[in-house]
Amino acid sequence: MADATSVRPRLSSGLVPRRQAWAHRLVISPTVLSIVVLGLYPLLFILAAAFSDSTLGKPFRDWVGTENFELVLADGDIVASFARTVLYALAISIVSVILGVVIALSLERATRSGSVVRTVLLLPLITPPVVVGTLWKLVFNPGGGLLDTLLRGVGVEGASVAPLSSTFWALPAIGLADVWQWTPLITLLVYAALLTQDGAVTEAAALDGAHGFGLFRHITWPAIAGTVAAVFFVRLVIALKVFDLVFIMTSGGPGQASTTTSYVIYQVALKEFDVGRASAITLLFAVIVTLITLPVAALTRKLSHD
Amino acid sequence: MTSRTTQHVRRRRIVAATASIAAAALALAACAAPAENEQAGAGDFAGQSLSALLITSHEGAANWLKENFEAETGATVELTIVPYDEIGSTLALDQQSGANTIDVAAPWYVSIGDLAAGGSIQDLTDWISSTPSLEEDDFIQSIYDPYTLVDGQRYGIPFDGDTHVLFYNKEILERNGITEPPATWDEYLEDVKTITANESANGVYGSAIFGQKSPLILGAAYANRLAGFGGTFVDDDGKPTINSPEAVAAAQALVDAVPYAFPTPAETDFGVGNGAWYDGKVAFIENWTDLGVGSETNPDSTVAGKWGVTTLPVGGDNTEPRASLVAGFTWVISANTEKTDLAKAFIEFAASSEVNSELIVADPQTGIDPNRVSSLESDAYGEKYPELQNVNRTTLNGSLAWPTGENATQAAQILTDELAKLIAGEGGTAQETLDRVQAEWETILG
Repeated sequence: MADATSVRPRLSSGLVPRRQAWAHRLVISPTVLSIVVLGLYPLLFILAAAFSDSTLGKPFRDWVGTENFELVLADGDIVASFARTVLYALAISIVSVILGVVIALSLERATRSGSVVRTVLLLPLITPPVVVGTLWKLVFNPGGGLLDTLLRGVGVEGASVAPLSSTFWALPAIGLADVWQWTPLITLLVYAALLTQDGAVTEAAALDGAHGFGLFRHITWPAIAGTVAAVFFVRLVIALKVFDLVFIMTSGGPGQASTTTSYVIYQVALKEFDVGRASAITLLFAVIVTLITLPVAALTRKLSHD
Repeated sequence: MTSRTTQHVRRRRIVAATASIAAAALALAACAAPAENEQAGAGDFAGQSLSALLITSHEGAANWLKENFEAETGATVELTIVPYDEIGSTLALDQQSGANTIDVAAPWYVSIGDLAAGGSIQDLTDWISSTPSLEEDDFIQSIYDPYTLVDGQRYGIPFDGDTHVLFYNKEILERNGITEPPATWDEYLEDVKTITANESANGVYGSAIFGQKSPLILGAAYANRLAGFGGTFVDDDGKPTINSPEAVAAAQALVDAVPYAFPTPAETDFGVGNGAWYDGKVAFIENWTDLGVGSETNPDSTVAGKWGVTTLPVGGDNTEPRASLVAGFTWVISANTEKTDLAKAFIEFAASSEVNSELIVADPQTGIDPNRVSSLESDAYGEKYPELQNVNRTTLNGSLAWPTGENATQAAQILTDELAKLIAGEGGTAQETLDRVQAEWETILG
């Protein structure tokens, strides 16, 4: 075995370490550049804009301190959009995950080689959100949409059924489109986790009399819990950012009934030209998202390690 | 096209003769200073290209302008078409980011105050005042100032003189025993109630109301009533007056009409509303005058020859119909363009009387309404669309315009959001709704 000190003279020459240091810098430079360009610059821009009078045409006109934050927190519609978005995201994520797990279990039981089914499941995922929004808007169209036609078919006056014009149903209707689009992702990920189960363990449990919900609770669930928590985390983050479906299906209406925070940010920045206030909303929403997702992230880590 | 060409030739001869006389006079006076704003002639811009930003509703007009301007000057025009509610932000971002890909644009006139404050567009005051060929006096005066003026400076040249009028389907009115279109908003409501009660089971409704949450859509439906009731957005000093008795009555008239409209107003944008009109599913629709052109020329129209048009109804103490400048688009030159001369030549061409006269009767429909007295009163318009010409003349007697200074786009959005809540049943009474708007407007408009 070579003596460690025998290689030290080469290091002490000064040429190699400098070369190695530059090599290290070269290797990590793409990562550093990515962080700066994709993370640091936008964050600094938003921070500076949030504390300044910034318009679309002229950012950073004047330092205004916390004025933008005060305006945002005093605006009942914006504060309501925070609560609406969080409730929407939690509800949609829970429904998506439950549905996704149930469908994945059904798939696993029904066929272990269901490539056709898996391909079909991918369709909503690969459909652009703008098409999904348009599709579901047509479904809910009170003048001849699918829902209207079905209700007329069973003798219900369809003209009075317009979910997207109802302050109560508009957001659930958007949520339905959201669930339709993203549940297949959860299904596929959970299905993949189910395929990694050790068949011998399941078989042994069945021989010991475990079946039905008991088999799921004591054998299957512990095997997929970490994956389910992880996909819930991902689904929650996606749902908190919902914009495209709202934009296409309701424009945030009727009234403010389906106005989510992402839509408010778009409206304030690009329709009202007020980048300063939009940045303040963004920062406040980032804090809320962090507070909501941190416990979920911790739960995910715990279940993955158990 | 032939008449336009002839007029151009005649104009060029006059300009040439005038120029010759002026040159001779200058020579005799031994004064050789060049004219500050020489007009470009055909071919002067050959080989140059111009980037123009317009909205989707103006795509037909944009293509017409591109073809004819290229033929006239030898320049190339590159078109960028965006949705109507994105043109202001697209222009502002293009200039602020330093991309500077846009030379001229035709944004909503309400946004010119914000675009000017953001340094996105050029002050055209000196150029306009020193260019007689723009024929300032020929612009419809109730349109000209709102479309161009910000704090005493002119930033635009009118392009599309959009005003709303009331279209009606003669067949539906006859079926329901209605012999005359409504003159007041109360009569309008009664007619709409009658028709919806009689025919909604067959998918026919009294009206289509643009109610989608956008200033150009729901804001337009409200502005029509505000004009009818004799109200204003702001007073002569620019102070908000949006919670006046007239404004509150206008909001209430909108709320009262919503339950009887084509389902549902909250989902009714231009596509849905115009589609219902062309399908013959609605008796009344408030729309731009060019809908009449579309009713005759659109391949999807089932109402050709079956429609009539009248001025917007009145309400309250007001008895005189008023035009409502709900939309309206104006030519601006981007702040950082390096092709200012070419841009000026283009908008002078596009806003000229001859071109406006051509666009308002063009087939296929261009989406352009009269912006000049001469085009409004042109023989071609009168012969082809006499009813449209007649109702458009209301713009000659004053009109209701949105505020146009800095923060005007935010003001329009605030009003629209509150109106959306009002018609959705979330905003309290009309008075409470407009009191909230007034308070916010006083903060941002002063």
